[in-house]
Amino acid sequence: MGPLIPQEIIGQDWNLFIAFIVGIGFGFILEQAGFSSSRKLAGVFYGYDTVVLKVFFGAAVTAMLGLLFFSLFGWIDLNLVYVNPTFLGSAIVGGIVMGIGFIAGGFCPGVSFSAIAIGKIDAMVFLGGIFIGIFMFAEAYPLLESFYMSGNLGALKLSDALGISGGLLAFLVIIAALAMFWIGDLAEKKFPREEY
Amino acid sequence: MKTTYMNPYLAGVLLGLVLLMAFFFSGRGLGASGAVKSTVVTMVSTIAPEHAANSPFYSKYIGEGKSPMKSWLVFEIMGVLIGGFLSGALAGRLKLKIEHFPGISANRRLIFAMIGGILFGFGSQLGRGCASGSALTGMAVLSLSGFISMATMFGTAFALAYFFRKNWI
Amino acid sequence: MTLKNIVMMGLFMLGLVIAMVPENTTKPYKLTAEDMLVEVQGAAEMVTADEVAHWLISNDPSLQLIDVRTPDEYQKYHLEGAINIPISAILKDDFRDYVDQGIMMNVLYSNGTLGSHQAWMILRQLGFENNYVMQGGLNYWFDTIMNPEKPASTSPDEEFAKYDFRKAASGVFGGGSGVALTAPTQTKADKPKIKRKKKKKAPAGGC
Repeated sequence: MGPLIPQEIIGQDWNLFIAFIVGIGFGFILEQAGFSSSRKLAGVFYGYDTVVLKVFFGAAVTAMLGLLFFSLFGWIDLNLVYVNPTFLGSAIVGGIVMGIGFIAGGFCPGVSFSAIAIGKIDAMVFLGGIFIGIFMFAEAYPLLESFYMSGNLGALKLSDALGISGGLLAFLVIIAALAMFWIGDLAEKKFPREEY
Repeated sequence: MKTTYMNPYLAGVLLGLVLLMAFFFSGRGLGASGAVKSTVVTMVSTIAPEHAANSPFYSKYIGEGKSPMKSWLVFEIMGVLIGGFLSGALAGRLKLKIEHFPGISANRRLIFAMIGGILFGFGSQLGRGCASGSALTGMAVLSLSGFISMATMFGTAFALAYFFRKNWI
Repeated sequence: MTLKNIVMMGLFMLGLVIAMVPENTTKPYKLTAEDMLVEVQGAAEMVTADEVAHWLISNDPSLQLIDVRTPDEYQKYHLEGAINIPISAILKDDFRDYVDQGIMMNVLYSNGTLGSHQAWMILRQLGFENNYVMQGGLNYWFDTIMNPEKPASTSPDEEFAKYDFRKAASGVFGGGSGVALTAPTQTKADKPKIKRKKKKKAPAGGC
């Protein structure tokens, strides 16, 4: 069975069409959830709105569970699903830089596109910034290359690194997510405010 | 004006299903910054083809039979724009505006949005993916780098929230 | 019950289930029992020792001999250019690129045909193409190619042609008396067609 396109069960030509459809779903849900508002997004860091936390972790654990169950039923071959490789140094520093970008800009790239779609000018400026940032990285790449490639652990899964089963890890992540949902709801009660 | 958003728990599950659909059909997850990268590569290789061909970064994405704009993420992002627009139209949220905390000026908001964008663009390339491409998708496939991205990104933002509080609350 | 509680309960329960069940690590067999029966009865996986000798002499670039015996046996003697994949290691990822591919024609051999056939069955059930078994194995190879028996004088001409070829081949492979190799007579050289493997693209992605 799946993934259908890498196994050529449906033709390669469909791949970009699927991408388009998936994108529509992605953008629609992001906007519906309120990710098109930077003030809602930033709310998670001040406790007045934790929609980011709920949607982000809700989506991650749902997809995680889905993949594990699909694999269990033999519906998907997880060896053919892309696992992003881990380069320790660049992942950590990249994450920190993005974290600063998040609190300063109030968006992340995917979300900024759904905000642009409904006419948020701040999101358009943010996107302009992303262009500049990527361009800067590209120009500085010869200097950064050795660091970019350092600490290569390959396509390592956290479950393998910890030596536990994928299912057990998923369960632990779910427990952590549920705890965060609970804290998020408490925080929202503590810092009430009007919907934007 | 009161606007209503979808229940975040429902939105989370639905977004997870969209992500699962991407995995099931294409064997890959969502992303965003990759589409911008494709655009940057295309722009640079059009304006300065020689420079692009000699650069170790751009040359990875251009060359015989490779067209950076015909990529999965570019089409996905086109879908995101349409999906977002549809949702905004349905909910009556289509409006050209600069959204900012009333305590700061619109210009200040735009300056910080620009700074944030630059940092996010740079960081997404260094970290091999942004919030959706690395953190969300990576966590769903249990990738170590996904968890690292998520922890460092949210951790840093939380740690620095105090210093940026004037912008938001 | 609110939507929130339903979602939280659902995630918790499903998480509990997935933590309990063992991971699905079985490699699914691609061919059903019926498919296999047809394959086995067709015997299309067999190639003769003469054909192998012919391909070896003509340096056929697409031929890949695979010795499925133990490393010890392989060390003692193996056919020219053969690689050793002991049957116990046939499923190892290290050898995956050899047995699951669409460029080479793999010919498996063991002493007899038991080991090579067992290996072939496993590979075939996994859906891998282009694997063949050398008929009679090494024993037969020695009997016919290395020490060919002169046919009786009443035998038909093809038998003599075959004998001449074997005689010449044995010289090339370092057995028996060296006779100059004549242009290999038309040993049935219609080689099995190599089936192009459907490319499994390495999963790509990322930002």
